[in-house]
Amino acid sequence: MSAITGGASIQGSAERAERLARAWRLWMTAGPGLFWIVVFLLLPSLILLGIGFFSIGNYGNPHLPLSLEPMREVAGYSILGWSPDNLATILRSLLQAISAAGLTILLAYPVVFFIITRPPALRPLLLLFVILPSWTNQVVRTYAWMELLGPGSTLSHLAQGAGLIPPHLGLMPGILAMQIGLTYNYLPYMVVPLYAAAEKLDWSLVEAGRDLYASGRRLFWSAVFPQTIPGLLSGIILVAIPAFGDYVVPTLLGGGKSMMIGSLIASQFLDTPNWPYGAALTIFMLIFTCAGLIVFRVMSKRLGSSEGSMI
Amino acid sequence: MSQNLAPPIRRALLLTSLPVYGLLYAPLALIAVFSFAPAPGSTTAGLHWYNDLLHAPDVLAALRRSLTLALGSSILGTALGTLMGFGLSRFRSRARSGFAAALPSLIIYTPIIMPSLVFGISELIFFNLMHKATGLFAAGLLTMGIAHVTFQAPYVALVVFARMAGLDPNLFEASHDLYANGRQSFLYLTVPVIRPAIIGGFLLAFTLSIDDFTISYFTAGPGSTTLPIYIYSAVARKGISPDINALATLMIATVIGIGLLQYGFTRQKDRQTVPRTGD
Amino acid sequence: MAEPAMLPRIAGQADAATSSAPTSGIAPRGAIRLEGISRVFGGGVVAVDRIDLDIQAGEFFTLLGPSGCGKTTLLRMIAGFETPDAGRILISGREMQSVPPHKRPVNTVFQSYALFPHLSVAENIGFGLRMRGVARPERLARTEQIMALLQIDAFARRNPAQLSGGQRQRVALARALVNEPEVVLLDEPLSALDAKLRAELQVELMRMQKRLGMTFIFVTHDQHEALVMSDRIAVMEQGRMLQVGPVLDVYEQPRSVFVAEFLGLSNIWKFTPRPGNMAETAIGALSIATPITTQRTAMIRPEKIWLYPEADAPRDRPNMFAGVVREAIYMGASTQYNVALAGGAIVLALDTNNQAAERSWGPGERVVLELKPANIMLIDG
Repeated sequence: MSAITGGASIQGSAERAERLARAWRLWMTAGPGLFWIVVFLLLPSLILLGIGFFSIGNYGNPHLPLSLEPMREVAGYSILGWSPDNLATILRSLLQAISAAGLTILLAYPVVFFIITRPPALRPLLLLFVILPSWTNQVVRTYAWMELLGPGSTLSHLAQGAGLIPPHLGLMPGILAMQIGLTYNYLPYMVVPLYAAAEKLDWSLVEAGRDLYASGRRLFWSAVFPQTIPGLLSGIILVAIPAFGDYVVPTLLGGGKSMMIGSLIASQFLDTPNWPYGAALTIFMLIFTCAGLIVFRVMSKRLGSSEGSMI
Repeated sequence: MSQNLAPPIRRALLLTSLPVYGLLYAPLALIAVFSFAPAPGSTTAGLHWYNDLLHAPDVLAALRRSLTLALGSSILGTALGTLMGFGLSRFRSRARSGFAAALPSLIIYTPIIMPSLVFGISELIFFNLMHKATGLFAAGLLTMGIAHVTFQAPYVALVVFARMAGLDPNLFEASHDLYANGRQSFLYLTVPVIRPAIIGGFLLAFTLSIDDFTISYFTAGPGSTTLPIYIYSAVARKGISPDINALATLMIATVIGIGLLQYGFTRQKDRQTVPRTGD
Repeated sequence: MAEPAMLPRIAGQADAATSSAPTSGIAPRGAIRLEGISRVFGGGVVAVDRIDLDIQAGEFFTLLGPSGCGKTTLLRMIAGFETPDAGRILISGREMQSVPPHKRPVNTVFQSYALFPHLSVAENIGFGLRMRGVARPERLARTEQIMALLQIDAFARRNPAQLSGGQRQRVALARALVNEPEVVLLDEPLSALDAKLRAELQVELMRMQKRLGMTFIFVTHDQHEALVMSDRIAVMEQGRMLQVGPVLDVYEQPRSVFVAEFLGLSNIWKFTPRPGNMAETAIGALSIATPITTQRTAMIRPEKIWLYPEADAPRDRPNMFAGVVREAIYMGASTQYNVALAGGAIVLALDTNNQAAERSWGPGERVVLELKPANIMLIDG
């Protein structure tokens, strides 16, 4: 197209006017909702993070001057000296989140491949039945496992009989119960992105691979699995992040001995208040969360997965 | 292609998947079975515990609060979310990039990716400070509602945005070309066309509200015990009990019912937009 | 299908090519005047560059050009979807720059049809009347009338998704026409249809336009479509209007190489003038009928070249060239011959197949071409 030769001062004014009109309409429609989120979530979370840098008052309330005392407490220092408890809790939460992600992957793959090998009309329904339980209340879902794993339950009797746990105790509370609860709660979050990736699978690559690789196992690892990696990565994010900071499962299924970071944070705001310490723990948790997000995002960008019609 | 896998593989997939489906529903089914447990001193299974629920004022009050909260927050959340999804799809210029253009997306995704514990605690502190400063925002249904709208609106926006993205942008120009002003275009074109998304978004917002525990728990006040909070405190206090089984069963049935309804709505929409060829 | 060189339909405009509309403001209903219209997009891309244009009331006017030439932007500015950076748009004598699309007396037929998916065919057509507050009985009557006219009344209750492409196109047209706008804007409305349906709808569009007497502004990149349908056409390139005029004029007397090449097939040569009104070109010296002044390019349409068997060629005429047929491309009604002359230059010649049995050539056969001086056009530059 030709360049402007004359009247340059008026050229482009319509573009500016249209842009202004669009911006005005954007703020008239999306503005109230965005404003709501900024005021009622972004601002509060910034306040929470800020509190992590205040001194700890007598009643656990934040106090001036600003200090790194809460951070030291997170690292394990207190008036009693250094203890590894906090770091152990963070590490344990991390391990629980990672193993929950691992377990959901093991369960999700067969289900996803079962669904995509059924007739197309049936697939959304089969997927829906994976998702539906996750729409029920998390407390209810977790409660259901208390029933299944409690001291008097059939599963506990079996475990007692096999000598896995001492008599009169249940599979719950404990780390195993917590692991089951997390896996159960977050399984659909792994199935959905994996399904999205598997549905777009290029089967011609699989057909081509059939001639190259003798065994079905090698065919899977070389032709099928690589294509599902973008979905797998989103699934890991969707499972590991909420599992890491989960509050309900450790409280109901974990019992007092196996404290997780979620319940540790919550107790700083509910039981014996210590806001700055709780806020500092939250900052730690968010750092882990963001780091995880960024790592997986970079990985999935490298793999060239697209986000489609996302906002 | 995907359907001509070898029969043994198909069978193996079926055999490994069925237990997973079983695993998903077994705990829920078990609750339902136990909810029909016989009353103390009786041996016949029945609706005893359901009957108990009907006469428990605590439970009925919690149910009423849950419904009020879910309905109220869903209406506001759907309104804000619909406008956001519509506005971002229609009026954000796609040509521009950079932080300013990405800002609305960042804001919308914050409530979705933020761990609900952090979400809840942020709200707790914020409302606490606001209450100290202004006397308003006392913890209760209002603060819970505000928090619920905050996570509902983004989900509704995503649903509406996805529907808008599937529409021909010329439709809106065509409506203006046919003498509709901005308001008429929104009422007679946009709203009817995205109605399935609005209804779907509303149902999603409703289930999200009913389903939420963590955020509600941290924003609740003394007199605003909703069903999930009621169940949680009952469970934390006395462990498993048959009346909680009955209540949980009702909640599971309701949510699954709404889920199937929402599925029906989205399916119907799909059928409408499938183009057919030939005279 | 119409022949390439068909009859021009000039709807009573006296000197359309020079385009001098009244400036008094009492312009006829449906007349359009563009004065110095420019539009620059982000990044300094000039989509429309200082365009002046007069379109007569009741005219079938076509904006023709390759994609990205600015024709759609110009149409969208008339509709009101885009604002010009400079210049005035007058419809029926009224200034339009600050009038929003919903208040303009124009209706658009979109390339994608843009039928409302939630409304039936009849409701789609009645949408504009409903928005203007036309009472229901009148609305229904007018909707039915236009549906009958376009033969879509059988689908009145159907959903747009249930229609074929041609039917959707008719509904989109009906949805515009039912409002009896002063001007109908058509943005490549036939480009999504197959060739046969397209030819049918071309004729139907023309018939509808003549019958209703509205001004039609038609945007296309298809030169054949432009030739078939238009009273006048404007050829656009890079935001500028290269030539405006009746179809016959623009085709027969292109004023630039771009127009000559874009509209139909052509043989074009640069030349150096020689005494005796001769032009020295790549294929040799040509005798020209038009006096040569500053022009340095000669053009002749393939169908204006006469072919003779080598033996029967007349000997005593100017501009006779012997050559060998390289390719003979049979196109049904006519055959295109690519003829290689002695120097190696290729000349395109088109021969109608009305006497194909007696007169046709295959590759390798020798022919003689006659480029009659009167048929050679001169182009500036």
